[in-house]
Amino acid sequence: MSLSQEDFPTVTDTVTQDAIDAYAELSGDHNPLHVDPEAAAASEFGGIIAHGPIALHSFFRAATEWLGVEALPPGSSVRVTYRAPTRPGDAVACELGSLDGDAVEAACVKQDGTTVVSVRAVLPTA
Amino acid sequence: MTGSTDDAPALSNVAYDDLVVDERFGPFEEDVTADLAGRLAGPIGVATGVSTAPPAVFPVLFLRALRRAMGGIPSGSILARQELEFHAPLAVDRTVAITTWVGAKEVRRERPFVTIEFDIRDAADDTQIVTGRKIIVWPTGPGEGSPA
Repeated sequence: MSLSQEDFPTVTDTVTQDAIDAYAELSGDHNPLHVDPEAAAASEFGGIIAHGPIALHSFFRAATEWLGVEALPPGSSVRVTYRAPTRPGDAVACELGSLDGDAVEAACVKQDGTTVVSVRAVLPTA
Repeated sequence: MTGSTDDAPALSNVAYDDLVVDERFGPFEEDVTADLAGRLAGPIGVATGVSTAPPAVFPVLFLRALRRAMGGIPSGSILARQELEFHAPLAVDRTVAITTWVGAKEVRRERPFVTIEFDIRDAADDTQIVTGRKIIVWPTGPGEGSPA
């Protein structure tokens, strides 16, 4: 199977407090920056921010949909750089930047155009 | 090692100077249930039927292991980068064993970076499932005390 850049799906995740609370429950990461509005408001961020991997979620969803799989194939690798926080109300979409064989570059971008996550991945399809 | 994330405090207060490179924690056993996998396959928290753990499960397992090893990511830290290598698929309703350790500590551009490594294996047959690491800007640097 060969991947086509044109077939990369559009996946947008809207960050909600419900999703952040669910992520805190699933991960055990109850950092007040994510779940305590008063503590978060008093922080340098001035309000709630989402767990970092939430900003990456649209990439995982797009990649698995693109490959037609539930799990990334053995031999896959994903390198993520976190560039900006996301907050409740943000809509994060994954955009494919380039495709060179199995090597992929993508970005998760929020509604104002800010890149929140950069991704370099290898997604073997053979 | 048994136990659960509920046994551990919510936040770490481990100082940079107290982190020991190559000191191993675990293995910590975690159940990858259909509920956990399903709530990370589609929109976060929304149940989706899956038979194999989706990739978003593994950063969650990293966080669970980190919490059990050292109380989690310390308050004031910044997650700078994350890397994952996928070695084998994991069916849902399996138990994994997670080992974690500090892979590196270094100060770059006056910022203290800590690399925390993870190794996730099927607890039943030791098959390596995922390896990876988090690179974190630690809230304290060399010579500084524990964060408040």
